[in-house]
Formats: sequence, structure tokens, C-alpha cells
Amino acid sequence: MQKVGKLAVLGITALGLALAGPQDNSLVIGASQEPRVLAGDFLSVISNQSIKSEIEQYLFAPLIGFNANSENFPVLATQVPTQQNGRLRVTDIGGGKKRLEMDLTIRPDARWSDGKPITTEDVQFYFEVGKAKGMPVLNPDYWERVNLRVKDARNFTVIFEPAYYYDTYGSPIGYAPKHIMGPEWEKVKAAARGLDSDKDAEKLNELYRNFFLKFATPQALNRGAMVYSGPFKLKRWVPGNSIEMERNPNFPIKPEGGESKYVQKVVYRFIQNTNSLLVAVIGGSIDATSSVSLTFDQARSKQLTSRAPGRFDIWFVPGAIWEHIDINKFENCQTVRDLGLNDKRTRQAILHALNREGLVKAFFDGLQPVAHTWIAPVNPLFNPNVKKYEFDLKKAEALLAEMGWRKGPDGILQRTVGGRTVRFEIEYVTTAGNAIRERTQQFFAEDLKKIGIAVKINNAPSAVVFADDYIQRASECKWTGMFEFAWVSNLQEDGGLFQYKNLNTGAIMVPTKENNYQGQNIGGWRNDEFDRLTSQAVLEFDEAKRKALFARAQEIWAEELPALPLYFRANPYVVRKGLVNYVASAYSGGYGYPGWNAWEIGWESRGAVKKWDQAKYALSVK
Amino acid sequence: MFAYTVRRLLQMIPLLLAASVVIYALLALQPGDPLDELRRQNPRITAEQFEALKRAYGLDQPLHIRYFKWLSRAVQGDLGYSRTYGIPAAEYIFVQRLPKTLLLSGLALTLALVVAIPVGVFSAVRQYSLADYAITFLSFVGFSMPVFFLGILLLYLFAIWLPDHIPGFPRFPTGGVPGVLWEDVRSGAISFWYFLGQWAWHLILPVIALSSLQMAEWTRFMRASLLEVLSQDYIRTARAKGLSERVVLYKHALRNALIPIVTLVGLAIPGVLGGATITETIFSYPGMGRAIFDALVEKDYNVAMAALAFLALMTALFNLLADLAYAVVDPRIRYS
Repeated sequence: MQKVGKLAVLGITALGLALAGPQDNSLVIGASQEPRVLAGDFLSVISNQSIKSEIEQYLFAPLIGFNANSENFPVLATQVPTQQNGRLRVTDIGGGKKRLEMDLTIRPDARWSDGKPITTEDVQFYFEVGKAKGMPVLNPDYWERVNLRVKDARNFTVIFEPAYYYDTYGSPIGYAPKHIMGPEWEKVKAAARGLDSDKDAEKLNELYRNFFLKFATPQALNRGAMVYSGPFKLKRWVPGNSIEMERNPNFPIKPEGGESKYVQKVVYRFIQNTNSLLVAVIGGSIDATSSVSLTFDQARSKQLTSRAPGRFDIWFVPGAIWEHIDINKFENCQTVRDLGLNDKRTRQAILHALNREGLVKAFFDGLQPVAHTWIAPVNPLFNPNVKKYEFDLKKAEALLAEMGWRKGPDGILQRTVGGRTVRFEIEYVTTAGNAIRERTQQFFAEDLKKIGIAVKINNAPSAVVFADDYIQRASECKWTGMFEFAWVSNLQEDGGLFQYKNLNTGAIMVPTKENNYQGQNIGGWRNDEFDRLTSQAVLEFDEAKRKALFARAQEIWAEELPALPLYFRANPYVVRKGLVNYVASAYSGGYGYPGWNAWEIGWESRGAVKKWDQAKYALSVK
Repeated sequence: MFAYTVRRLLQMIPLLLAASVVIYALLALQPGDPLDELRRQNPRITAEQFEALKRAYGLDQPLHIRYFKWLSRAVQGDLGYSRTYGIPAAEYIFVQRLPKTLLLSGLALTLALVVAIPVGVFSAVRQYSLADYAITFLSFVGFSMPVFFLGILLLYLFAIWLPDHIPGFPRFPTGGVPGVLWEDVRSGAISFWYFLGQWAWHLILPVIALSSLQMAEWTRFMRASLLEVLSQDYIRTARAKGLSERVVLYKHALRNALIPIVTLVGLAIPGVLGGATITETIFSYPGMGRAIFDALVEKDYNVAMAALAFLALMTALFNLLADLAYAVVDPRIRYS
């Protein structure tokens, strides 16, 4: 017995060197971040790092998965609820609100890694913990709307009220092992009795965190404190080094040709410094990189690309992170009125003057395509036929001339506003220290100078510009011109980034003193038709109708240009030749990480069958 | 001497209190708060829900209340929880990070000392010889080579270039800690020597990178200090009364020449405890430097407070120890 253990340990350390991949049918994934906790923190109360969600895809299978084509597919549930199969019902509950019911059945052969069946008790348990008073969940909007009705050990209904179309994406609910965590939870409940969710919020928070921790730290997991339901189970976690997972024989879905033809062991190697990680990739000890690993520039570096042919594929998966320039449109700011930023013609002129094609070619080899709206092209709601603003200085100049701008003696545009002569000098804010953004800024400043617009750069560290008292205060003219940053273009798109008012909740989305500076429409754009279309679209459960509403909303947006779209960032992946089904798309698995189909990942030379082609979802370096 | 020590220790209390106020204020007054990012990630969070989260993390109270809450718990030994790791800040800093830092920085410091003192002595005794010039040159190289460059250079050389070009050359690890657990040794899965060997193997490059600067610096100091002592009158006297060169050098000169080195080492030790952020970053080594840096970036106040307050304490303590050590090394110094 001792000898076996010894061999196992020696095997792992050898993996840190060069032996990996098809030889022993294993997979070594390199990541630059290590999760703080895993598994037991099933509501992500302690940590919501992306690396945690990525690794948990191997350890826990969802009831309903979300594939690389952004489609639902059943994993531990028998069927995806649809209106056709009668498992999905939408009802009007008045006041323009909807109620959604989804019937789910757990697969009869779904089991935890210790052999115990996965039942509705586990779903009920998850639900109870999430709904507990004062639980510091990061998605309270979900928990306030969701409800659960259990029918028997395998059948249950999830109810959303009010419901939005995106509630039908992926699993409507999770589950957690009651037979493992339940007894400890009873103790927590007893301790929490008598505590007030307002007055004792901190105490409750500590109680809950301690509960999750008992099943989430490396020490606890190495002791075997947790069970798993995914295609893999955790074997060993060496903090600062690696996490090793081995195949879970109880996982019910078998890939084509039998699971022995697919990877038997997955090791996540953590190398925090991405330069050192690059060295490890080049050295050959890594088979594939995680979604949190090399930077875009490192993946294009000559050191890597020159060694890639015949060894690796380097993929750039266009993601959902939308780089853009927001513009202050608050008319109460004098600079905004002087420069006419509240007039769409000014914004259109600026966008015509920015050579975005040139930028993505010069800086990104065209691997991060130019954006035309705020919705990612991989989102089913994307409208490709909106108005596009090509690089055209003549058009820009004509639009500005229409607004009364003339070149002044210093070559900078000027015009008369209310008897005063104003120069076209615009503030340009972005996060200091972000090399790509600072380069972009220089590039665009040159473009704007050509049409007579002077740029006043005003950068500060991200903590400063993203602080509440800066980014949210355009209404108080804290920033008065352009602000370049990124939003995540959500799969659960609701138009909230540019609504003045959400007509379903009544919330004002433009941050001002009146609403305590809440909301993401930081530039203060207001278009009532856009609000109506997007508010209606999130209640539309018919996909075609929803698409039409969002298509119109995007047309308005592209005409009015409340913000200047730049490009969508791409995530680089290095994958050893011969590894199949290690595939990511912008929304695969919900978040866009590889590993959403972990049970299908394997080596072609070991007989694994290729089902998913990364080339369909990504660009590659030539 | 005893009264002096007690007095100094008592003086440390207000000093440390003041330091903790300043550190706490600097942390809390930096722009943004730990939940800002959350709001950007989840657009659907409402103002009330956001306030509830702030309450759960105690961020709704004013700065001075938060400080006194922290202080009253800290003096009872409770340094609070790490917001990002979810474990007690004390466990994270003192159990997970500090020992690893002591290992890396301690080894680097020892290596630097063990090399710098004899080499400095050698260089001073053979002043203006070829060897002296060579050592001087090398120490200036070590002096001026930034650690981030040296680190990457070592990595590229020992993990890629040499193994690629020389068959059989071992491929050095690209950083991190070895994939062996102490529990494996206890359960007998691996031998203690294997465990030790793995750690040594992973520590070679970072220790070299980290020690090079201090090694170079201390060699120069040792050389200069010894040369100065060797030109003193009492050395001439010692030689004149016919003592052997060995006794003159090691008994009379070296002991006096070591006094400035004691000061330097005393001041360097809190730095050891604080970790080496850059070296730890390059070699992905989970030490104190990274812990403090990450805690500051992620606004994990409890961890940053625990680590920085500990460093303040250690700096004060080692200053005192260095002062006391003077008295031991230099008989002319007496405290009362």
C-alpha cells in the first residue's frame, strides 16, 4: 500500500517536469491563478474567482449545461425544459410581470462520488442555504426571484417571479450534498437563530463563511471532506503548486467509445507569474492553458509562436469583454454643452475619426475584431446589420462643420457658444498602468488631432477611476469627456448598460444624486424607445420576437452612439496538438471557459473522438 | 542594561499604536472599497442589496469605529478573517505565508552573509590584486542587476536554454513550490530526504536571485570596513608588538570591522520577514511579499493589517536587538 502511495506522489512530481499528456492519458493545464477555496463554497460566498468556476466544471456537473454554441443541453437532468415538451410554462401575473415554471427530473443514475444518489433533497438543501437570512450571496437578484417546489425524490419545479428570458439559460438551480454538509448546516442554523439579519449581519456572515470553509479549504478537501458529482473528483491539492483530479467512475455520462479512451487525470498547475508560465509552456510541461493564464501579448510572442508549429495550437477566442469609450452626455456640465457631446453628431464625428481597424491591426494582428454595438457577436441577440462607422476623416470634419466648428489659429477647432469662443479640447480618462489602453489612447489622440480635436489625457489607477465618487459622478462633471474601460457583455443581456429607466422594476439606471449614484448608464444617455424595447425584450420568452426587439434597440443605439464601441477582447489558449474537445467559446458553460464538457476531453492518439472544433469559435495566429 | 531594555520595550507601545493607526487609515482611505468590483460584475444588484452586503462585511461603519473594533479584537489575538481567502488572517499570514518566506528569504540572507563576509575579507586583505578587481567587478554587476531581470534570466537559462542545448542538463522548475505535502512524509508515502530535496530543487533559483544584491552589497561593505580598520593605529601597534598576522586580522581587525555589518543585518531582518515581492512574483512563490501586495490590491484589509502591523512590530524589535548587539560586539558601548 505504501509503495502505491509513493508511486502516486512521485508521478505527480514528475508531471511538474516534462512527462505529460498522451503518454499516461493525463492532461496538465497551466493557470496563473490558484483558487482560494473549492467545492464546499457552492454559493461562491467566499470567493467568486473565475479559476474556481473553471475547475469546478470538472468536479460538479450542472443539471443543464450550456455548450459552445450557446445552447442548453441536459447533463444531470433528463431533459431541457422547453415550451414544446411542456416542461416550461410562462404565465402573465399582471402589471407586465411574468411567472416562469420549469419542471426538471434528475437522471436516475446520477450519483455522488461516494455512491449516494443525487436527489431533490440535495436541490432543496442548496435552495435552503441560499435563502437563509443574511446569506451574503453575490447575486441577490436571483435569490429574490427564485422558488422551489419538490414533487418527489427526482422531480421538482423551479419557479421565477418575476421572470426574465435569461432564467431559461443553463441550470435554473444548483444542488449540494446534503448527506455531507447537512449536519453541519443544522448547527449553523441553530447558532443563527435569534440573530437579526440587519443588526448581526457581520456575525451571520462569519457563521456562514465558517460553514462553507469546512468543506472548501485545501486541507479539508485533502482530508476527503467533500464529495463530487462531475466527471472528475479531487484527489490532491498542493497549495501553491497544483490540483490533481481523477476520473469519477460514478459520473453517468459516458463519452463515445468509453471513458477509458479519454483523459483519466487532470492536473491544474499554478504558476502565478505569467512569464514563468510561458516558460513552462515552451518547456513542454503544460498541455493546455486555462482561461486565466497567458496574456494576449504573451500568446503572440515570438518565443511561443516560433515553437508552436507541430506542437501547439494557439487560439484566440473572442470573448464577451467589451472595450469602449463612454462619453459624458449630461447637459448640466458646461464642457459637455460647449463641446456638444450631448449631440449625436459630435459622437458620430469622433467615431469616424478613430481608426479602429488600424488599431486592431497594429496592436492585435486583427485578432480582436472591431465592435459595432455593445452586444458580443457570439450572443444570439447580436444584430450584425447596424450602422457602422468606418474611419473617414472627411465625414468627421463635415459633421463637425455642421455644428459650427472651424479650425483656429493653433489648428484646433473652435466655435462660439453663447458669445464665448471655445476650443475643442476633450478629456480622455482611462486606467493608468494598463499598457494597452495607454497605447490606444496615444493612437486615438493622434487620429483626433488630424481633425482638430485636442485630447487632454487624465488617467489614474483603476481603484481611483472606478471608485464610486468618480465613475458614477458624470452628472457632477467629475469627468467631462471620454472614459475608456470595459464592461462584460453579459449573455443575460438586458440593455441595463444604456437604459435611463428599467420599465419593469422602475429603477433609474443613470447614476445621479437622486438615486444615490446607482446604475451603469454612467454617461447619462436617455432614449425612451430604447428603454421600452429592452424592457419588453427581457419579458419575451419567444426567441425570434426577443431578437427582433433587441435588433431594433441596437439600431437605435448605433445611430445615437451613447458610447463609442472599440473591440471585444479575445482570450488566448495554447493547446497541445492531439488534445480534443478542450474547447471554449465566449459563453461556453455560461462563463466562456474550457472544461464545460470535461468528460469528452481526450487525446486523439488514445482513441478520443473529436466532437467540438475550436477553429469554429476562435481565430488563430498565422 | 535590563532597565534600558524594559524602557525601550515600553516605548514601543505608543509607537506601534501610532503605526497601526497610520496603516489602518492609509488602507481604508485608499480610493474604492472591496465591494466596488462586485457592483461592476453584477449590474442587477440593487442599492438595498448592496447596502446589506456592506453591512455583512462591516463596511458601513465610519473609519474610527472600524479601527477600534479591529484594535479591540487584535489585542485579544483575533486579527479577523481574510475577505478573499475566507480563513483567519492570522492563519493565512503566520501559518501559510510566513514560514515559506522565512525559508526563502532566510536562506538568501544566510547565503549572502556566508559568501559576503569571507569574500569581503579576502578582497580587503588582497587589496588591488587581480582577485580584488574581479570581486569588485562582480559585486558591481550584482549591485546593478535588477532582480526582476536576473530572475527571468535565470529562469530562461536553467528552465529552457541550457536543457535544450545540453543533453542531460536537468530542467529547473519554473517556480512555485514543489508538489509534495508534509502529510506525505508523515504518512510515509515519501521519505523526508526526498521532500527536502524537492524543496531544495525549487529554491535554488529564487535563492540565488534574491541573495545576489545583498551579497554584492555586503561584500563591498565588508571590504571597506575592514580596510578602514586595518589602517587604524591599534592594528599597527598589534603588528609592532609581533602578533601573528592571523591574530591581528581575526582577533583585532575583523571583530571591529563587523560592527557596521551587524547594523546592516539587523536592519535587513525585518525585510526578510516582509518577503521579497518581486522575487516571489517572478518565481510564483507564495510568500509574505505577494501576500501583502495581493491584499493591498484586493483590499483585503484584515490580511494587510495583520501583515503590516507585524512588520512594524518586527522592525521596532530588531532595531532594539541591533542596538543591544552593539554592546556585545563593541565593548566600548554600554547602555544605562
